[in-house]
Amino acid sequence: MRIVIVGAGQVGSTVVEALHDEHDLTVIDVVRERLEPLAYRYDVSTIEANGASRKALRDAGVGQADLFIACTSRDEVNLVACSFARVEAPRATTVIRTSNVEYIDLWREGRLDVDFAVSSELETANAVSRSIGMPAARQTDVFANGQVQIVEFDVPEGADSSVVGRPLREAPLPSDSRVFGIIRSDALTLPRGGESLRPGDRIVVIGSPTAAREWGRLLAPGEEAVRDVVVFGGGQMGTAIARSLTAQEIGVRLIEPDRERAREVAEELPACRVYNATGTDVDFLDRELIGRAQAAVFAIKDDAENHYAATLARVHGVRFTIAVLHDPISTKVYEHSGVDVTINPRGVTAEEIARFAHDPRTQQVAMLEGDRYEVLDITTQPTSEYVGLKFRDMPIRGAMIGAIVRDGRAVFPRSDEVLQAGDRVIVFTERKRVPDVERVL
Amino acid sequence: MTGASRGDGGDRIRGRAHIGIDVSGALALTGTMLAYLSLSALVPIAFAIGYREPVWPFVAAGAITGGFGLALMRLGRRRSAGPIGFREGYLVVSLTWLLAAVYAALPYIFSGDPQVSHPIDAFFEGMSGFSTTGATVIVDVDAIDRSLLIWRQLSQWLGGMGIIVLALAVLPRLRIGGRQMFESELPGPEVHQLAERIRDTARRLWLLYIALTGVLFGLLLGIGLSGLDDRMDAFQALGHSLSTLPLGGFSTDPRSLEPFAPITQWVVALFMALAGLNFALLYLGLVRRRPVVFARDEEARLYGALLLLGSAVVFAELVNADLFSGEEALRQAVFQTTSLMTGTGFAITNYVGWPTVAVMAMIGLMFVGASAGSPTGSVKIVRHLLVSRILRRELRQTIHPELVLPIRLNGKTVDERTLRAVLAFVLLYIGIFIIGAVLLAIDARVANLEFGMTDAIAASAGTLGNVGPALGFAGPMGSYAPFSDFSKLVMAALMWVGRLEVLPVLVLLTRNYWRV
Repeated sequence: MRIVIVGAGQVGSTVVEALHDEHDLTVIDVVRERLEPLAYRYDVSTIEANGASRKALRDAGVGQADLFIACTSRDEVNLVACSFARVEAPRATTVIRTSNVEYIDLWREGRLDVDFAVSSELETANAVSRSIGMPAARQTDVFANGQVQIVEFDVPEGADSSVVGRPLREAPLPSDSRVFGIIRSDALTLPRGGESLRPGDRIVVIGSPTAAREWGRLLAPGEEAVRDVVVFGGGQMGTAIARSLTAQEIGVRLIEPDRERAREVAEELPACRVYNATGTDVDFLDRELIGRAQAAVFAIKDDAENHYAATLARVHGVRFTIAVLHDPISTKVYEHSGVDVTINPRGVTAEEIARFAHDPRTQQVAMLEGDRYEVLDITTQPTSEYVGLKFRDMPIRGAMIGAIVRDGRAVFPRSDEVLQAGDRVIVFTERKRVPDVERVL
Repeated sequence: MTGASRGDGGDRIRGRAHIGIDVSGALALTGTMLAYLSLSALVPIAFAIGYREPVWPFVAAGAITGGFGLALMRLGRRRSAGPIGFREGYLVVSLTWLLAAVYAALPYIFSGDPQVSHPIDAFFEGMSGFSTTGATVIVDVDAIDRSLLIWRQLSQWLGGMGIIVLALAVLPRLRIGGRQMFESELPGPEVHQLAERIRDTARRLWLLYIALTGVLFGLLLGIGLSGLDDRMDAFQALGHSLSTLPLGGFSTDPRSLEPFAPITQWVVALFMALAGLNFALLYLGLVRRRPVVFARDEEARLYGALLLLGSAVVFAELVNADLFSGEEALRQAVFQTTSLMTGTGFAITNYVGWPTVAVMAMIGLMFVGASAGSPTGSVKIVRHLLVSRILRRELRQTIHPELVLPIRLNGKTVDERTLRAVLAFVLLYIGIFIIGAVLLAIDARVANLEFGMTDAIAASAGTLGNVGPALGFAGPMGSYAPFSDFSKLVMAALMWVGRLEVLPVLVLLTRNYWRV
């Protein structure tokens, strides 16, 4: 597939990283320093030009592109670039990155002439609210309009003994769910019925939203639903997170040090309590009893400050902390200091964007553990050798079907269910096996 | 004055060159306003001819005002051809209203009528008219020429929707910056825009105002003609409709609305309540047929709630004191509450002798006012709403100092500047009210008048709030005639300041206004 990418910033280069193996990429950016590392590291062609210039787009061969991705940090540039691309290459799929909620809404209403709009802020906010909805989960992805959830859990020491340490086929697992994979000492196993969970495992579970919540309770007993969250940082990221949480009727307190910005957020989100303060002001944290919050999200632009605020909040007693990080390298630092969940907005966005480059039958992709494992949502072809087979008779080849979507409804198949042509299947596999899985189905 | 002539001599530099506003331009514009306003004398001239009453007082008043206006236009030359500046606007608005009151006074002076021809009395009556206050020095309305009475009612009607709004609506190419002058004249902290152009907004407001006056006139005339109210004739119908819509309160009957039939009183009460709504809202609700706007507007909701609450309190008190019962008690309560709260000042009984709680409610209502964007005076509902929200915010921020709490009205954030202006307005309003009450009390003491504390409070609140009747001898059936000339001037000033919502007048008194 020929893909033109405008913008070689954080998101752009992550997209390049994810797609360069299988596709022909052309990257456009105004800054040479951003292009050079890409050109050296990957086999992509780069053009130093303004992506919102028609001439530059023609030079990049937009006319022959199958996919056009505009992912600079500036919404307006992305929109203009996309509207030129639409004229030059009417058949190409266009994807824009935007941080403006209004554009996302317009796109959903079909009033923005782009095929897909992706927002780092929105994707991150969704990831945060999924984690908050299930404090024991490390990562949550939703498929089939929310009917299917894929959740990554760490199995802790104190987990319910009815499910831990017993063979899976004997354990009273929540219905409509199954264990997709067990990651034990960095190796993935696709469990059969005889396998059992052990404390320290990281497991991937697929199931209905209700089942996913039950899993959360089994693995982390004593956690109640979160009602009080503090968001540190009222930038676009923090605001998007606060908006998404208040929409779920979770009480949100947001802390923003800039006076003007704090006011803007307070005007924008009437349901959210906004404080004009710094997250590192100990007096303030004490006075407002921030330590009693059930969860805190750290979305301060500077990783060092963010990390300090997160650590301070933990010292003050916040039980569940989620950090939105800016440099992926910081993940380890955050995790080392006890932050429960880290979310990499670049990764989340690149994941969203990269899925448009997959097989057109693939509806949705999620990446787990960085990008070592993928969950795919694929429609089966009648020619597939799996069609007509019962699930228990399917050979395991490094991939596992967790759910099927038949006539728009999610089904969590029993072992005697038969796969039919046209079923959408949700498959868990290692990243390197993705092309095989797509071919086989 | 050109740049070159400024350097002429030291005197000039010290003198005029330090004046930062275009005084002559402002005077010229004020002159234009007056010249056009003088045309309104044609209405009482027509009535005088019809009733065979003296025509010349109106001719003279019109000619003097018109001539003075034209002279000002000639005298003051605009420094630039562009729209008048933001600063000059305050001077134009304040001066226009002051001179309009003088204009209104001229026919009273020329009429030679013993009740009102004294220049101070005439000025008081003129200011009471244009400011839609309704405080009067006339005891016996029946003794006054009908053409003069029509003039008195007309002055209220013109003042209700505003002289400058009228000028904006009808005058061709009036070169004024528009919005700021419009805002300083229309009551309330914010103006709803009904059209892209101020001119069209002004026109729509005036057309609605005229239409509502016409409807009320038709209803009252119908009541009279159908025999439901034998005191209601065409003259009374016109007189009362001209002073109901502007929430004025001048009556063409010596006992205000007391002698009229209950149905007339109910109809007038309904129209007072209507006119107390924001006219922009009325336009959307009645003309564009979107009645939901009333239910959605926070100010309109509170206005309705306060009218009901005030009426209920007064009703309970009246029934409790055995003054009235049944429908009459309800009518008294609703009518008086609406009349005082909206700042109209009509009365259907002399409430001076009512029980203390009811009288206190009456005085309290004088500080409430009706909606912003209506011809009401006083503080206005929306300011009460905003002040209560500011106070609630202060209380919350006492506990949580870092909490950022924007104040919203109808879901929209209100600018902090507007909030400061609202607070400043309320504080200035209270300050001026107190100064007024003290001056009146001292002056009454000097003049040996029978005048208690509540009377001083009511007179100051009643004139500053453009309500009209006070208590004591200046009560609803009495008159302001017994006050000394000094007191009358004080109250005329209160009416002026009250009508223009304090800030435009007070800003003229600051040195910075005049400086570069």
